[in-house]
Amino acid sequence: MICPLCGFEYDETALDCHAACPMAQGCAIVCCPNCGYQSVDESKSALAKLLRRLLKPAPPSASRSKNNEPS
Amino acid sequence: MTCHPEAPALDPEAPIVLVGNPNVGKSALFGALTGRYVEVSNFPGTTVEVSAGRAGDIPILDTPGVNSLYPRSDDERVTRNILLARPPRAVVQVADARNLRRSLLLTLQLAEFDLPFILDLNMADEARAQGITVDTARLAQVLGASIVETVATRKQGVDALRARLEVAQPIGYRIHYDGAIEAALARLAVLLPSEPAGARAVALMILAGDADMLARYGGKHTPALQQIVAETAAGYSQPLNYVIAQQRSRCVDCLLGQVAHTSRRGGAAWAEQFGRLAVHPLWGWPILAAVLFGMYMFVGRLGAGVMVNWMEGVLFKQWLLPVATRLAGYIPVPLVVEALVGPYGVISMALSYGIAIVMPIVLTFFFAFSILEDSGYLPRLAVMLDRPFKAMGLNGKAVLPMVLGLGCDTMATLTTRILETRKERVMVTLLLALGVPCSAQLGVLLGMVALLPPSAIAVWGAVVVVTMFVVGWLAARLLPGQRADFILELPPIRMPQLGNIVIKTVARLEWYLKEVLPLFVLGTFILLALDKTGALNLLEQWAAPLVVNGLGLPPQTTGAFIIGFLRRDYGAAGLFTLARSGALDAGQLVVSLVVITLFVPCIANVMVIAKEHGWKTTAWVVAFIFPFAFGVGVVLNLALHALGITFA
Ligand SMILES: Nc1nc2c(ncn2[C@@H]2O[C@H](COP(=O)(O)OP(=O)(O)OP(=O)(O)O)[C@@H](O)[C@H]2O)c(=O)[nH]1
Ligand SMILES: [Mg+2]
Ligand SMILES: [Zn+2]
Repeated sequence: MICPLCGFEYDETALDCHAACPMAQGCAIVCCPNCGYQSVDESKSALAKLLRRLLKPAPPSASRSKNNEPS
Repeated sequence: MTCHPEAPALDPEAPIVLVGNPNVGKSALFGALTGRYVEVSNFPGTTVEVSAGRAGDIPILDTPGVNSLYPRSDDERVTRNILLARPPRAVVQVADARNLRRSLLLTLQLAEFDLPFILDLNMADEARAQGITVDTARLAQVLGASIVETVATRKQGVDALRARLEVAQPIGYRIHYDGAIEAALARLAVLLPSEPAGARAVALMILAGDADMLARYGGKHTPALQQIVAETAAGYSQPLNYVIAQQRSRCVDCLLGQVAHTSRRGGAAWAEQFGRLAVHPLWGWPILAAVLFGMYMFVGRLGAGVMVNWMEGVLFKQWLLPVATRLAGYIPVPLVVEALVGPYGVISMALSYGIAIVMPIVLTFFFAFSILEDSGYLPRLAVMLDRPFKAMGLNGKAVLPMVLGLGCDTMATLTTRILETRKERVMVTLLLALGVPCSAQLGVLLGMVALLPPSAIAVWGAVVVVTMFVVGWLAARLLPGQRADFILELPPIRMPQLGNIVIKTVARLEWYLKEVLPLFVLGTFILLALDKTGALNLLEQWAAPLVVNGLGLPPQTTGAFIIGFLRRDYGAAGLFTLARSGALDAGQLVVSLVVITLFVPCIANVMVIAKEHGWKTTAWVVAFIFPFAFGVGVVLNLALHALGITFA
């Protein structure tokens, strides 16, 4: 994601802190490696996902994703 | 097959390797080039192993998506090793044309491998649809590389790409790292085998601390190589891999600056004008003041005032609690009834504090904050706030992102790992725990203070600002060389989108409630247990000299301070409720909120400090913070009395 504060682009899935934090299980906070600005990872919020679906109905073409099985 | 006269005899089996960030269309392009189907899906990480195919008689490899060739994951290691194992015929970087910055970060890493290269800006259709244009001719010129645009899913541009493959050349652009790193690279190069390609990349990886590379290429020089790395690392306060990544990232910014690319649909003229004024040395301040005033009205008046009045006064007091009390009456066990709706009950205390008092405040706070983020004003606010820090020689970078972000100390404590000596680490941890409130808690405290007269707000604000400056001052002394600007680019100002704001707000609110409600419930049980055993009474008597005489507060506040040990905002909610019921006057509320503000943010923070620094250090930190917080409160109380200030 792109840090809303400093504009640095980082991979929020590869944050070191998530490996180090004793409460990392389901930790929804992401922290910019450049400036330290913290925000909430929206993809970890069930409510936000639900709202997103309500606000923006899924695009008509379902053909783009064939298989969503993670690794 | 040699169209390249000066090239050494080409291995006919040397493959073309497709490399790129996750989910950019590598597998789609692989399919277009080879006619072979591999799984394509709109899910990053679909390709987890390398698949091989052929375009005509040239072998082609599809690789897992990577964000970096300095491996942090197995996928990244796989891809990196392919580039080093057998020199490929050419590397095709598949890039998402919509996200040039992320792509170029990888491009500049690939440049260091010194392999024949083509940059493929894929998803050209989507980019166009979103109004994103890249001046590819100019980019090709500054990068010194061949660039094509494709729509892999519709095979557009694939023929042009195929034609370029024959004449691919290594990237011309070279990053020049700072003097110390370049010197180290030169020293490493002498000791490393001079591979035909990739020597610089290997040296950089070793410098960045890649043990694999050291084992593979170090040979008998391993100790000497390690020595060079250690000597170089000693010159920086941050780890070398971070330093290298940062310098590379700056080069990407510099490249982007030279290439016209509109990443968002043309902003309005007013927005551009406003964006400029917002960081103007003069006009920036009134704008900042207006924004803060707006937040104060929204969070303080609407959230902490109107909404809390309704939620607590009407919804809970008039409707929910009476119903809950009646229902609880059917439960035959008195203790359970009390645990639910008694003075220290889960519904009457934990939920009513959490839902009726804290939630409206954080809801409005997060909403206001999401507007700042989505409109692009937030980085400008940081630029403005950073100026007084800079002017005073303080380190704003160490403080501002934390105060502006969620500022969870738990995480901040972990980032102190980059500090070198143990003393520094403990100092910064202590300061963070003491001075920099997690902004959600700051929002709660702000909302409560906002109901007080302006002079009282000023007193509380001064305490927060002074601690922030002290943290900035110490950070400036402990973290030398960190005073560089931390804002990389200012996004354009735009009209915030309601949909984005609502989603951001909801995600944060969910996170917050999940985080706090369990602790609120726990705190309530602790108070109930203390109350039932008579310990609460004893504690109140025992704390009276401090709470009543020192701080000038009524004895009931002891309970609020006790739950404040678990989380500051819980304690604050207790104080706020006392004030609303008339048990605390404005002066007493200020004193007690100042004390709570200086508490350790939450119990989770204590646990992380313990994990990072051990229980002994934690005990010291805690033994410092609480007496300090109460000490400041006592001094403030005495000063207010001596000066006769009542905020009435
Ligand atoms: N509109 C458009 N969609 C594309 C294009 N190329 C790929 N896609 C879509 O983008 C998604 C990702 O494509 P993949 O080929 O799986 O991406 P990948 O880079 O192999 O992804 P990983 O293997 O997971 O790293 C799929 O839904 C494709 O259909 C393109 O040029 N235009
Ligand atoms: Mg793939
Ligand atoms: Zn950042």
